[in-house]
Parts: sequence; C-alpha cells; structure tokens
Amino acid sequence: MSLQTDNRKFSERTAEGIDNPFMRSAVSSAQDSLKTRRLSAATALGEWEEWRKAGQQIRQHTLKHLDYYLEELARNIDRRGGKIYFARTKEEASAYIGRIVEQKNAKRIVKSKSMVTEEIELNHVLLEMGCEVTETDLGEYILQVDDWEAPSHIVAPALHKDRKQIRRVFAERLGYQGDETPENLARFAREVLRQKFLEADIGITGCNFAVANLGAINLVTNEGNGDLTAAIPKTHIAVMGMERIVPSLEEMEVLDNLLCRSAVGQKLTSYITVMGPSAPGEADGPEDFHLVVVDNGRSDILGSEFNDALQCIRCGACLNVCPVYRHIGGHSYGSIYPGPIGAVITPLLGGYDDYKELPYASSLCAACTDVCPVKIPLHEQLILHRQKIVEQGRTGTADRLQMKTAARVLSSPSLFGKVLRLANPGSRMISSRGRIVRGPAIVRGWTSARDLPQPVRQKDSFRSWMENRKGGSGN
Amino acid sequence: MSMQQPIHANNNKEAFLDHIAAKLGRERVHQVERPKLALPGRKDTPATEELVDILKEQCFFIHTQVIESSPEILQQTLNDLLEANGGGPVLTSADPRFAEYGLEFSGRLLWEAAAGRDENIRRAAAAGTAVVFADYALAESGTIVVESRPDQGRAFHFLTGHYIAVIERSRIVPRSTQAAADLNRRVMAGEPMGSCINLISGPSNSADIEMQLVVGVHGPLRATYVLI
Amino acid sequence: MKVSIFSTCLVDLMFPNVGKAMVEVLERLGCEIDFPASQVCCGQPTYNSGYLEDSKLAMKNMMLAFEHSDYVVGPSGSCIAMFHEYPAVFKGDPQWELKAISLKNKSFELTQFIVHVLGITDVGAHLEGIATYHRSCHMTRLLGEKETPFRLLEQVDGLRLEPLKNSDNCCGFGGTFSVKMPEISAQMVDEKCACVAETGADILISADMGCLMNIGGRLSRNGQSIRVMHIAEVLNCVPAAQGGRSL
Repeated sequence: MSLQTDNRKFSERTAEGIDNPFMRSAVSSAQDSLKTRRLSAATALGEWEEWRKAGQQIRQHTLKHLDYYLEELARNIDRRGGKIYFARTKEEASAYIGRIVEQKNAKRIVKSKSMVTEEIELNHVLLEMGCEVTETDLGEYILQVDDWEAPSHIVAPALHKDRKQIRRVFAERLGYQGDETPENLARFAREVLRQKFLEADIGITGCNFAVANLGAINLVTNEGNGDLTAAIPKTHIAVMGMERIVPSLEEMEVLDNLLCRSAVGQKLTSYITVMGPSAPGEADGPEDFHLVVVDNGRSDILGSEFNDALQCIRCGACLNVCPVYRHIGGHSYGSIYPGPIGAVITPLLGGYDDYKELPYASSLCAACTDVCPVKIPLHEQLILHRQKIVEQGRTGTADRLQMKTAARVLSSPSLFGKVLRLANPGSRMISSRGRIVRGPAIVRGWTSARDLPQPVRQKDSFRSWMENRKGGSGN
Repeated sequence: MSMQQPIHANNNKEAFLDHIAAKLGRERVHQVERPKLALPGRKDTPATEELVDILKEQCFFIHTQVIESSPEILQQTLNDLLEANGGGPVLTSADPRFAEYGLEFSGRLLWEAAAGRDENIRRAAAAGTAVVFADYALAESGTIVVESRPDQGRAFHFLTGHYIAVIERSRIVPRSTQAAADLNRRVMAGEPMGSCINLISGPSNSADIEMQLVVGVHGPLRATYVLI
Repeated sequence: MKVSIFSTCLVDLMFPNVGKAMVEVLERLGCEIDFPASQVCCGQPTYNSGYLEDSKLAMKNMMLAFEHSDYVVGPSGSCIAMFHEYPAVFKGDPQWELKAISLKNKSFELTQFIVHVLGITDVGAHLEGIATYHRSCHMTRLLGEKETPFRLLEQVDGLRLEPLKNSDNCCGFGGTFSVKMPEISAQMVDEKCACVAETGADILISADMGCLMNIGGRLSRNGQSIRVMHIAEVLNCVPAAQGGRSL
C-alpha cells in the first residue's frame, strides 16, 4: 500500500462508493454510534473545550520547537541503548528498515497497525525481500487476508466489510470453519496470530507519540497486539511521522485522553503503553530497538499555511462526523488518509496532480472542525487548498470564467440588477409549475436531483419591494 | 552490503533537524521551556472510598470484575477466582508483595530474569491466569499501571486468558493526570525506570468487525481487579 | 432602534417573501428599517470556491454598503457568518481591516438579533401545526448560534416542535458544493428528507434559505408534501389586526 490506494478518477471512485449499500449502511451506523460514544466520553471528562485548548497548545508548542524535541528524543533513545534514524523520504525509511531485516536475516515479521508504514510502502518492500509479513490488528489482518485490501478508515480499517464477507474470506484463505459471529471470527484470528507473535523475528509498530524526555514511544491500542509486537521479538522497529512527539509523559497523558475519547469514546483504551529498548536485566522486550522518524513531505507543511494540519493525532473523529464520508466511504478518497483530515493532508503529501478533487469533497459544514480534539481548522484548510488550486490555475477555464463573472456580478448592484431582469424570463423556458426541473448547464447537477424555485420577476424582487415601500430608504 | 558496515553509521540527524529549523524559519534551538499545563478538572483529592466507588463503576463499563477483599483473605479470594475460572497454572512474578501477603499457588509458573526470554515467554503462554500487583490504579478510567522489571516482563500481561490485578487501596489515584505527573517526576529526577510502562484498562477488545465489541482479542479474555 | 436589512442575494432574487416577513417582524418589534440598496452578496460563493481575491470585491462592496448602519440584520446564519470572517480575510489591510471588524461587530442573524439584542423571545406569533427545525451548519458552527431559533419557536402559539434525527448532519447544500458534487450532495439531502419525513411534521423550518432551497427542492422532486418555511415567515404569522400576515 502507498498513500494512493486507487488511481481511478475521483468521480468513478465516489460513484462506486455511493453504489455500495452495504458499505454505506455500515459507515452510517458506525458514525452514529461513534458520535454518541465520543460525545458521552467528552462530556464525562468535563470542560471539554478547555481540554481541546490544552491539546492544541501542546501540539502547537511541540511543532514550533520540533527540532529541539526530536534532538532531545534522539539523545534519550541513545542513552537507553536504542537507535534512531531520520528518514527524509519514504525510500530512505523503508530502505533503512530493509537493511535491518537483512542484517538480522529476519524472515517473519509481525506488525501492529501503523498508517505511516503504509505511507512508506513498507509491506511492499518487506514482501519483495521474501519476508512473511503479518498485520496483527484484527481489522488490518482481515484486509491483508483479503489480498491486502486498502483500509477505509484510519482507526477502523475494515469498517466497510460485513461479517459475512469476513467469514467467507477467512474460510477461503485460512480454512476457517466457524460461523460469522464477530466473537468467533476474532477468536480464530487470535489463535492464528498468537503463533505469529511467538515465531516473529522482528516486530514493527507505529508510534502514537514519542516522549522526548524519556526516549520512548507511546502506543494506544485496544487489542494488545502492539504490546505483543514490542514484547516478544528480539528486534522492535517503531516508525513515526516526525511530528508525532510530546515533551513528556504529562503532555502525552492529555493527548491520550483526547485521542481515546475522540477516536472510540473510551476514557482510555485497554492498553496504553510507553516503551523503549529493553532495560538491563529484563528478559523480554527488544534487544535491538530502532525508531525511524519519517519526514516524507511533512517538512514542506511545517511553517506553511497548512502547519495546523500537523497537529493531527489521527483519532478519526472528523471521519466519524463527516456527512460526505458517510455517503461515499473511505475508499472514495483514494488515499490511506480519508475523510476531512485526509482531504487536507493527502494533497499536501501526494500533490494536487492526483488529489485536487479532495478539497472540494466537503460541503464546508465544519462538523470536522468542531469535533477535532486539537482544534485543527479543517474546513478552513479545505478552503485554503481551493485558494491554492485557483492560484495555480488548476480549476479549468469554465470554472474560472463562471467564478470571475459571479464575483463581478455579486459585487456590483447594477450588474446584479441586470441579472434580476434576465433571470426570470430566462428560467421560464425550462420550468414546470413554477419550479425548474431541468436547469441550464451551470445548475444541471442541482436539478438532476432537486427542483429549483424560479427566480422572481424583477419587479417582485425584495429590493424592488423595499424601494417602493414607504419608509424604505436607499443610499 | 557488507555485514561489517554498521547500518547506523549515519542517522541523518543533523541534516534532518537543520532542515526542520530552516522550514521553521530560524536557527536550531537548544533550549526550550516546556509550558506549564493548565488543565481543567477537580483540584481536590477525593477520599479513598469515593475513588473506590468511581473505579468500581467504571469497571462495569470496561467489562472488568471488581472484588473487594482484604490482606487477610486475599489468598482465599484469589483461590476462589482461580477455581471459578479454571484454565491452567498461575503466572506470578517475584514481586515482594507476594511474600508480604503470604500468597502461594500450587503449580505456579514464575517469571524470573534468570529464565531468559524464551523460557519466560513459554511460561507466560502456558499459564492460564496472570496475577500482578498494580503500581497505581486510576479510578476514573478503571486503569492499573504496571512497569516492566527483571522479574515481571512485558509479555507477562498479554499471554494468559485471565488477568488478575491486585490493587492496594492506597494506590488508587483519581485519574491518569496523577500517574503521569508522578512518572514524569521520576523521569526528571533521573530515577531508574523499567523499559516499559503499561496502563491497562480491562481485558483486550476489538470492534473491528461491524463495530461490534468483542472482548478478548490478542491479550487476556477476562480481567479481574481485587481491591485490598 | 435603527436596523439595516441585509436581504442576502438568495432572498432578493428567489425568496422575496422571506425578506418581507423579516422586515414586518422587525418593524412590529419597534425597529426602524432601512435597506442600503448598494448591497449585493456577502461573497461566500466565490470565497468558498477558493477565489479569494475576486471575493474581496463583493466583501468590500458590502462593507461600504453598511458603513453607516447601526445594526445589520440578515435572514441567514450562513451569510452573517461570512461577514464574521471578514476581519480574518482583511487582516493587516490598513484600508479595510477596521471596516471589516466594524461590520462583524454590528451584524446579527435575525433570530440572534431578536433574542440577544432586542431581548425578546415571544413575538406574538401564532401558527397551528407540527414542525421540525433544521439547524444550518454555518449558523450553528461558524456563527456559533445554536439556541435562539428554538427560544423563539417555543413561544409560537399553536406550534408543536418535533426533534429532527441527526440534526447535526449537513443537508448537502454547501453552496457551490451542491453544484460541483451533485451526486454526493443528492445522497445527503435524501437522507435529510427521510429524517424530516420521520418526524411526522407538516412544516419544515430553518433560518437559512440555502438549506431550505435544497431540502425543499428535493422534497418537491420527491412529491413529499411538507411545507417549507423560513423562520421569519413563521414569526410573522400574527393576526392581521396586529399588522401581520396570517398564513
């Protein structure tokens, strides 16, 4: 997997999403339940707005001094006997990990869910090297067994699949003979994956937050797979986006609380772990610990107008409230990062050539901005993307012409008056019972699903009424 | 590539951090004051009995059984639990509190540094129930905090079907804030710490299939807290 | 109290009755009304499409149009929220920043103005029926006004309000979004119509004509006979003897 999960046109992908009733009912019921759970967990904490502000301040402070905290992290990892590697590109990151695998002569690798390893196409590199790679997060494992299908949600990657599909995949690929209850499917995966953990040469995890003054990484999970990945194999490689760092355990605690509540509506998830290289005398944990810090385009965001997007803690709350995500599903975004945050960061990491539609896949309802636990102004960042796309002349001649004309008409009372004079007679030709049922090209998308009221005659317009009426004054 | 060449010879650190500083439009900084956190929430410390009530209520939501016991009857409480849950030998550590409370389990398996990685993991995987003493318990989230030590490794907490944490009431704090502050105090003071700190809130679980909660995935299928 | 009406271009061109209702309600509540005729549009359609520089033309026109007003009141949470964005748009612009701040500070959405500025919740309206209320996203989230429509509607004699399921989900209008991404928008409005139907209400009320044009357009296409009313029209339902129009 890479950042890009589907290279068809955006419109083709969304048409497929809209046409998938199972996925849509799965997504909307997931949204409805996650929304309620998030809200009750946020309310239970009390003074949620103050917590959000604290979260935002922590993220902004850390980003502003990112070089300092990464240096402190490096010093402490080193002090604890671990190794840290800084990768500017995805190629550097996966090549470094490849070299460790080669040096260890490792064959069996277990992974716990990590979006950044998808971004650096790590599985591809490891499979090419002939390794057996096992994703151990239940959702990711289901996707892996189904020919490495792309995730559709950053927290619940297999959200789009139902139990019947999962049972069929397990039966066909793994010889599963049980029924389709989630409990039995999960129990079966537990048995298969337990063996993988015990046999693994290397464990690879992501990193929710690195803790600078401790020289450790923080993992937040419910299943416990991350902990087994970092406990049993002799080598643990953790991969982090370079911005995912906190000064100390105190800031980590605040962000973990925001993360767990926003992502899944839990006060804390079952397993929150802070870990580093094994300490002298300890029997398990990694003898060799590597932390790979990945840039891969992030430094271009740092200090730019999109800087706030780097505050993201990958909770997925914005996906869970997004009405667009609700109807098109995660795969429509064509990126491992879907939803509102995906529409903001995917074009930044992957460029407008492939992703310039994503910033438009939003009604700018701001539900995402409202829910973001670290106060990223997501809908404003989408508008900012649109501004960049316009500045770079990527919007096409027709759009440009329409918008330039609109801008002139909407800023000039006299031009607007002309439109008022023309709109009603123009629209009469295509109306039925006073409602437009098939509009001219510019509004055809609208009238394909909706009637449009007919503009009034100029003499019936509100401004004419105001001007004619006693007490109405012009200026 | 040559096996002699250390793969870590150049970790790119300086160039990488210089680049970040440049993107931030300034020189590298080597001194930063960590802003003091101004967190909302109650400032008083609730009485232990109130904390116990909060903990018990939360444990209901995280599918964790809570049993109130006392040092005098702890052995009996644990024996009853083990009998009721069945499922193989007990895994314990050399935590001195096992001796302090006079706890003994027949056929127990012991995590001990001397046994080495493979043997300890084998023992943990062969055990049915792990018993630990919590370093702290966090009332609000129903969490216990444990730290890795030579006599109690990381996999200790994740391989048995049943997980029992004994919580001394004096170790219950209101929430994660207090545990984080105390742990960070130790970090700042340079005190020796385990390589791994676990905040464990109930059994492992997943909602990856149709958002339906399944309790018990990779880690323990059941969790019990015993209060003394 | 002198109030300048900001009709919004949508009301001006398509829904004059909403503007008239607003004027009549405000006059009944003792306001002295004027209509600065050089006003057109807040600039939101082009601003949200990324045409920042072009949008500033419309914004500047509005700042000048309302330069001498005491209060500016409009029948749209969304358009008023756009006014509230002006200071950010013109930040650091010596000629316009202060004008932008001034316009922001004196602009109110209609229900906001009645409740917070006039301090009135009972406008003496009477309307028989079962209604449900659609919260517009921009009014709720960008303007941050969640309660005033309900405080006014609760006092409307004869009206019963039914809660709308998933009321925080966008109806799919989103201005140019509904034209640029019509397929997605259509799914959103369809779900909204289904939720409206589920309430059993015979009147759908909102404080933004964009949303109502969208939902109403879909209801009409589906043949769902639910009456669509702007809240100004509801508040203007008073006995004719009191100078209102009975609907």
